[in-house]
Amino acid sequence: MKPLPAALVTGAPLLAAVAAWNPFWLAAATIGAALMLFAAPPPRRLYAVTAFSSGLVVFAVNPFVSVQGLSVLWQGPHIPILDTQVTAEELAYGAGAGMRVAASALAVAAFIRLADADLLLRATARVAPRSAMIAALATRMVPALERDAAGIVLAARTRAARMSSPRTAAALLGPLLATSLERSLSVAEAMEARGYGASGRTRAPERHATGREWAFGLLGATAVAVVAIGLLTGATAYRYYDTLGDPLQPGAVAGAAALALLCAAAAGLVRWPR
Amino acid sequence: MAALSFEHVSYRYPDAGADALADVDLAVAPGELVLLVGGSGSGKSTLLRAALGLVPHFHGGELRGRVTAAGHDTRDHRPGELARHVGLVFQDPEAQLVMGRPDREAAFGLENLGHPAAEIGLRAREALAAVGASHLAARATGTLSGGEQQRVAIASVLAMGQPILLLDEPTSQLDPVVAEELLGLVVRINRDRGVTVVLAEHRTGRLFAEADRVIAMRDGRVTVDATPAVAARALAASAPWLLPPVTQAFARAGRDELPLTVRDARTLVARAPAAVRPQATRAPIVAGVASGRKRLGDVDALDGATAAFEAGRVTALIGENGAGKTTLARVVCGLVELDRGRLRPAAERAGYVGQDPAHYLVHETVADEVAYGVRNLGLPAAERERRVAATLERLDLAGMRARHPRDLSSGERQRLAIASVVAMEPDLLVLDEPTRGVDGLRKTALVEMVRRMAAQGTAVVVVTHDMDFAAEAADVVTSMASGRVLADRAHRDALATGIFFVSQLGLALGRASLADAVALLAQPHEAARV
Repeated sequence: MKPLPAALVTGAPLLAAVAAWNPFWLAAATIGAALMLFAAPPPRRLYAVTAFSSGLVVFAVNPFVSVQGLSVLWQGPHIPILDTQVTAEELAYGAGAGMRVAASALAVAAFIRLADADLLLRATARVAPRSAMIAALATRMVPALERDAAGIVLAARTRAARMSSPRTAAALLGPLLATSLERSLSVAEAMEARGYGASGRTRAPERHATGREWAFGLLGATAVAVVAIGLLTGATAYRYYDTLGDPLQPGAVAGAAALALLCAAAAGLVRWPR
Repeated sequence: MAALSFEHVSYRYPDAGADALADVDLAVAPGELVLLVGGSGSGKSTLLRAALGLVPHFHGGELRGRVTAAGHDTRDHRPGELARHVGLVFQDPEAQLVMGRPDREAAFGLENLGHPAAEIGLRAREALAAVGASHLAARATGTLSGGEQQRVAIASVLAMGQPILLLDEPTSQLDPVVAEELLGLVVRINRDRGVTVVLAEHRTGRLFAEADRVIAMRDGRVTVDATPAVAARALAASAPWLLPPVTQAFARAGRDELPLTVRDARTLVARAPAAVRPQATRAPIVAGVASGRKRLGDVDALDGATAAFEAGRVTALIGENGAGKTTLARVVCGLVELDRGRLRPAAERAGYVGQDPAHYLVHETVADEVAYGVRNLGLPAAERERRVAATLERLDLAGMRARHPRDLSSGERQRLAIASVVAMEPDLLVLDEPTRGVDGLRKTALVEMVRRMAAQGTAVVVVTHDMDFAAEAADVVTSMASGRVLADRAHRDALATGIFFVSQLGLALGRASLADAVALLAQPHEAARV
């Protein structure tokens, strides 16, 4: 898919995740971004696991590092550095922050999987060659990581390693990272060897946008507009501390529902048989 | 003006203990075809990188002396600028593919150099067609086999059409048919268009005589720089393993004449009739597959393959790119499950060494890497240490036991990957393209190692495109195409009687291996002379 429609449709949940506070908006952003990712071509699992586990970590850690809120739910023993008093506000804030992290990661992952990385590189290479190179390396990195992970596991299995052991699996993460960094360096070298970064870059003629891409872009633009209206009208606002506000504001619920529905429609469009 | 010139060039990589290039002084004239030979780590790849300015611009380090490419001093011009004059095909195809599709990959360099947009598509398609990769144009590059990736990588540089073309082992992953075509194409480009070509290769058989000059390197220094005939004389005495097999055979047989090509050899010696061999007796089968089927994505990787691998035998598994060799190898090692068919797994242990040695580098030292599999077997410490020491010695890695595996050269990494599996003493050992990036001397050591393992009762399977290596190492040959086994356990003499899947000695003399060829040549000259 051309990068612009993909950017619009994944940009909407990303914008909501970054700027909204209301839990309904954050939930809609998470659901919307997750739907986009699951509609995108594989590989998806690594992205999804990373996004959701990061969100969970934030949710789980927040009550123990935050010292706010008046509705005490549990008082634990005294542990230096940690706050063992857990409040409803801390849990709610943690849930919101967790969704924010997960939705942002999912939206970026959905963009990576949906947007044609080659077209993205071409589009940005003239204006920002270094950024485009980093983007190209990043978009190649996850599929390459998955292939390398499979290769490293295969090599470990043939050397009688028990892959069910978490310790063994964890020990292979470092080499996996080292392999992917080596690969990135080689790709960067190959790009430079083929004139990347020289002045006067041209672009091979590209195909026109398809009807599906136009429709996708339209849905994305509408979703971005919905989030923007929500931000401008204050419908995305919410208070977590000292006591929780009421999230059930009509504008917030309607806006969040519209965002989720637009993302669902866009995801359906990706999966719609050609 | 020279196309390329090196004026007393020395270069040291950052944090390296020795110079990778040491006082290199040479010039390559426009339109010359130069073959660059030398062992792993001799400086060939560094020399090619220096010609494009990647050394030192990309890698850093210290460069002394002066390198010019098409009259441009590489100190003053970055690789991006020099790419207008010099094209470089790297050794590892996977590591140089940038775009998601081959047609875009071939267009990438043209776009960077600012070619008119209307021209780009046509040139890219033309380059893909030239390397027989037109049918791959719209595939995802991540789904291509190693050989297919290599073709795309070459096409992406050929498309740019620079007047100087550098190639670093461009055929290491190609089947013999495609490799032959590709080298023919390189020679044509040189002869017809006057493109200056410098090609580094370990498998010198196809190009040695075609070159205008042969440059040999050792420890970063140029040791021989002469015409092929003169270079052959010099190398016959100092480093015969750098010579084409047919030249080596004559040199080792003590013959005065040193033919450089199959044709030359045939003018000197009549091709022997096929040797009459008794049918090899069956040895106990260690592992095998019957009517195996396996679908990978949209492709039937195995389509009814049947093969058996016997104890004490080395089997060469050969066939074109995408024939299903790697899948069959992984199936018999129990690493991939069949969709249908029967698998007879190895009774004790199967060891598989894949095509990418980087996947086997997960520890901090070479010794730990070799010990990894042995430790996983739960053997006593003394036995572990014995096996590690013996394996390091056998694979010429003993001097590197404390080094970090990722600091090794590609050939050394390949040997380490093999060592880490061999140390486990499997009863079935599969080596998938083990000669990629491995020089002739180490290839001979590899042959000795697999022969020794077979002599100890191991069933060894070598998946390879290197017919000269197969001829030296194998007892029997199994040929594959389109996911099927066409011929199982043919005698290795099959590598002397085929059309394309044949060793150079087989073509020239009717004897597949060097030992057989030398024996033939050592007969009284009158009997063997044409």
